[in-house]
Amino acid sequence: MSEDNNSQTSPVVPEELKESVTLWNMEAAIEQLLNKLNPVASAIIDPIANLARANSVWPLTFGTSCCAIEMMSVGMSKFDISRFGSEVFRATPRQADMILTAGTITRKMAPALITLYEQMPEPKYVIAMGACTVTGGMFNDSYSVVQGVDRIIPVDVYLPGCPPRPEGILDALLKLQQKIRTESYVSRNNRKYEQTSVRRVDYDTGRPIEDLINEAKLDTAVVISGTGVLDHATKREAKSNA
Amino acid sequence: MTTEQAPAKAPEGPPPVGPYGQFLKEHGIESKRLPDSRGVGGQIENIEVDRKDLEAAVRFLRNDSEVGLDLLLTVSGVETNDTFDSVYHLWSYSSKNELVVKAVVAKTECVDDKLPMVPSIAQFWKTANWHERETYDLMGIRYLGHPYLRRILNPWDWEGYPLRRDYKQPIDALNDKNPHSFR
Repeated sequence: MSEDNNSQTSPVVPEELKESVTLWNMEAAIEQLLNKLNPVASAIIDPIANLARANSVWPLTFGTSCCAIEMMSVGMSKFDISRFGSEVFRATPRQADMILTAGTITRKMAPALITLYEQMPEPKYVIAMGACTVTGGMFNDSYSVVQGVDRIIPVDVYLPGCPPRPEGILDALLKLQQKIRTESYVSRNNRKYEQTSVRRVDYDTGRPIEDLINEAKLDTAVVISGTGVLDHATKREAKSNA
Repeated sequence: MTTEQAPAKAPEGPPPVGPYGQFLKEHGIESKRLPDSRGVGGQIENIEVDRKDLEAAVRFLRNDSEVGLDLLLTVSGVETNDTFDSVYHLWSYSSKNELVVKAVVAKTECVDDKLPMVPSIAQFWKTANWHERETYDLMGIRYLGHPYLRRILNPWDWEGYPLRRDYKQPIDALNDKNPHSFR
């Protein structure tokens, strides 16, 4: 499997085609260019961009338990999270910058939460709100509850309490804003997010999603074989032989 | 408060047949009376019925015009040291009486991961459909003749039955003590 992935990222051009075929990985070239430019550019751009980002952190409407009641309360006029620029609770993760995981995350909910998190555009932030999402809380050693939401998504601010007071949410937001103001775009870009904790299963076939994705990659991969012919069939044969 | 009454002494031997047990006996169904439980309106009769008689007993109790236990309150599963019980709470709208019916499966039948089997009563009450699915999900009692016996609370690919005594959850990345988390 690893050989397949390597050949896919950097295909090898056979000798007889060297003159007519040039493979140029545009994405990699752009990435290299940006990595060279970023330290210079970020010194100028970061303070401005971070100021804008920190004062318009739009949260996602996400609540799975009683913490969501406090989240609603902090959105209303008495506590008024809009004083800090976060009043726009978005109903879709594609427009949100921050997710407040308000409430217990069960094992059944975990794949949905990961899907929501992965749909959010970078830069994205997570506040683990409430005891359940910080450590599992009173559902410690429960068979059905994820023991801390940081096991499935990276968390920026931990906000304990059962549930936390609305002032606590505001304080967590201020701490998050502080973090956003002081962060560097380069360091954030280099941070990697790898998803390994939850086994996601295709509901039609009952097989893990990773297997299906790998199989699809194998089937659609374009291979330049030794004869210079674009060949789909050899890969399939190799797979069936293995 | 000066005269403290001594608790009533439990009678020796098996308890006498209660009204519902007598009713079932008249219709040719043997039942065993268990110690009463205490409900809101007084004592509640508990009876144990053999599994193969369960459907017939429930049909009589539900459809008889005088008894008329026409509401199924809940279906639950109980695991004791040596049995799996499927417990049904029946209630009557007209007489406001309650009855607890138990179907008991010995654990000696459940060798080699075979599930205890009890006939389904989902044909009599639609309520029983989801209640039996829940009991199947958490306690692992297989209801024969159920229209859609799938897990209802846990994910469908869950392994094991979490509320059983011998259930041990496999340690994975979501519940281990030394997590490889982002902390």
